[in-house]
Amino acid sequence: MISFKLVRRNLTKHKMRSALTIASLMVGVFLLCVLKSMVVALESGVAGAKRDRLVVQSAASLFIGLPLPYQQRIAEVPGVQKTCKWCWFGGYFREPKNFLGAFATDSDTIFDVYPEMEVIDGSIDDWRKDRSGCLIGDLLAQQFDWKVGQTIPIISANYLPPSGDAWQFTVRAIYKSESSAVDRRTFFFNWDYFQESFEKVMKRTPDTSTIVMRTKPGADQNEIMRTVEGFYENGPQRVQCTTEAAFQAQFLTMMGNVPFLVTSIGSGVLVAIALACVNTMLMAFRDQAHDVGIMKALGFTDGGVSGFMLGQSMLLCIVGGGLGILLVKGLEPAFMAFLGSVFPGYAVTGRTLAVAALVTVAIGLVAGVVPAIAARRLRCVEALRSVE
Amino acid sequence: MLVPLTYNLRSLFVRRSATVLTLLGIGATVTVLTGFLALQAGFRSLYTQGGRDDVVIFMRPSSTSEGQSLFLREIADRLIKSSPEILAVGDAPPVAAMETYFAVRKQKAHGAGETNVPIRGVQPTSFQLRDGLRIVEGRELKFGSDELIVGRKLIDRMAGCNVGDVIVLNLTPFRVVGIFEGPGACESEIWTDFDRASVALNIPWANAILAKLRPGTDFKKLEERIRSDKETPAKVMTEVDYLRSQTNALGMMLGLLGSILGTVMGIAAVFTAMNTMLAALAARTHEIGILLSIGFRPFSIFVSFLFEALLLGVLGGAIGCLLALPLHGIKTGTTNWDTFTEVAFAFRITPEVLTTAVVFSLALGLLGGAIPAFRAARLAPTEALRRR
Repeated sequence: MISFKLVRRNLTKHKMRSALTIASLMVGVFLLCVLKSMVVALESGVAGAKRDRLVVQSAASLFIGLPLPYQQRIAEVPGVQKTCKWCWFGGYFREPKNFLGAFATDSDTIFDVYPEMEVIDGSIDDWRKDRSGCLIGDLLAQQFDWKVGQTIPIISANYLPPSGDAWQFTVRAIYKSESSAVDRRTFFFNWDYFQESFEKVMKRTPDTSTIVMRTKPGADQNEIMRTVEGFYENGPQRVQCTTEAAFQAQFLTMMGNVPFLVTSIGSGVLVAIALACVNTMLMAFRDQAHDVGIMKALGFTDGGVSGFMLGQSMLLCIVGGGLGILLVKGLEPAFMAFLGSVFPGYAVTGRTLAVAALVTVAIGLVAGVVPAIAARRLRCVEALRSVE
Repeated sequence: MLVPLTYNLRSLFVRRSATVLTLLGIGATVTVLTGFLALQAGFRSLYTQGGRDDVVIFMRPSSTSEGQSLFLREIADRLIKSSPEILAVGDAPPVAAMETYFAVRKQKAHGAGETNVPIRGVQPTSFQLRDGLRIVEGRELKFGSDELIVGRKLIDRMAGCNVGDVIVLNLTPFRVVGIFEGPGACESEIWTDFDRASVALNIPWANAILAKLRPGTDFKKLEERIRSDKETPAKVMTEVDYLRSQTNALGMMLGLLGSILGTVMGIAAVFTAMNTMLAALAARTHEIGILLSIGFRPFSIFVSFLFEALLLGVLGGAIGCLLALPLHGIKTGTTNWDTFTEVAFAFRITPEVLTTAVVFSLALGLLGGAIPAFRAARLAPTEALRRR
């Protein structure tokens, strides 16, 4: 029987080699988890979508808005509980690279349509009362260090401000959300203020990009979607009414091959770390061939010496992979902050960690199997003859 | 005196299993990185090739992309007429075109979901403004009719984009009459008559104005004059600068991914290389003792080991580049977040990409070999000779 102590002692004999192997496994598993979490981030909008929300958008193009009267008519459809507008604002703070997901919305209904949004600083009423107030996500507030009460100049790529070079908004409330359907970096402001400013500059009524509705429990969503699309079958702008999941899915399909690319990069990483482990285990076997001969001479069985090699490989991988998993989980908040603007919804899920653990064990097996077989086949006379 | 290089080559050959595994490990790392750089190069080259200094784009102040910009028709007309810098030959109208740029939802080919395909409403001068655009199938666009011509890259990627197909814009059917090839990203676009598109989509405006400048125009002065214009302030950029700015968001995402990948996979590869070199050192301690005792300086030993590590790095890099070469020319597509539309491009393995990959693999060898080489140089000859 091979004792754990024997396995451990043999690994610590070559401290540097074991440490380097563990470290490359650690960074490899870490990278795998990061890549997987990026894919999770890309898919998070779909995963978090609520069943009772429907989204209405122009059937022709994402660039084309819906006339305002559409909202009233949609709100009156039986089964619709509340509606709110989302109008894409194309905002940025100071420079285009500080790009924001900014939307003009209905401050009186948004919390009914998105009950998962929870205000953690400031108050909803303050925001509703202040025409030029805004409601921002906690991660956005963190990114730019914005506080409640602060006035922020925002430049819009799509809309000219009512005066000066930038729109001025005062932070009135900060929200967070546990659901990935709501991005914690969004910047919302009052529709009324937007409409008033727009009319002053453009001398016409603005359109809204989308209208989101929450349906009543038990409402027939297919019926609602059909009704809404039927309203505008003959113009002026045809609409598409979909579930929130389908709406989010369009952004995922827009990514095209990106999730696939990230996954293939992951397999490249996997190959690299597996090779590193195989290399180490072959080196270990070369060093230990003499020892294995002695062990066999002392009466260790073929199975025993196989287990001895395999055990070393497994221990290396479990320690390395385990550290990688700990590292990725520990750095999750840092990565959320660092990658959040490009990959909102970055999250290390339990599933990701389970996959990582599985991969670790698989690499341990693969790397251990060749020396294990070699150790089994080794004839002890030959092994003993080779002098180190 | 330096240790002969054949010594290193033969040493690598003697330990061939470790050498091969290390080379493959470094190779996998370099393959991933090269593939990634090739993707980035393919995307960037779309926007950087074909940009000219004497063609400018007028947009609304603060817009970062033509899709966000908006000029009412009369304002666009006035802007063109009041700009003497725009080239005009004889009595012909100025070489300037009002264009609309928006996206239509289209199904991808093979049922891969929907994406946003850019449609450009163009004027006859638009063709004059783009060098190298030519019809490769069907015929040219007839102005005044509800017709479309489609960029060649879209044919395989999107459903229903062949000559004779009909694409409905809001309520009006438009017929595809031709397929064109052209510089840069325009091959991923659909073109139609500016006026017909405005009517069909009920958008009485131009998004941007493209114009050719008279030879010798001082761009700085023009930019200054247009920006501070009292009546219709606008933003003007040269085509080169504009196209470059359209790669920011995706470029940043790719850059971020690339640097995370390079760093993390690089660390793992350095560890592997270091492990291999340490094993080489352990196996050759006796030989080093001999080399030292017959008069080689420690410095020569250091150089020799470092050279061997560099050789590992560069051979691994070469394997990586070779493995990545078949990627060249493979087409892929994703959404360019700056324009919010689908763009198709191919992996491009350019000399810069290969140079970066080779430098990277050399760095891996150097970092992995430094410590083992240092240790080798520090060996005391008597100690080393005693080890068998």
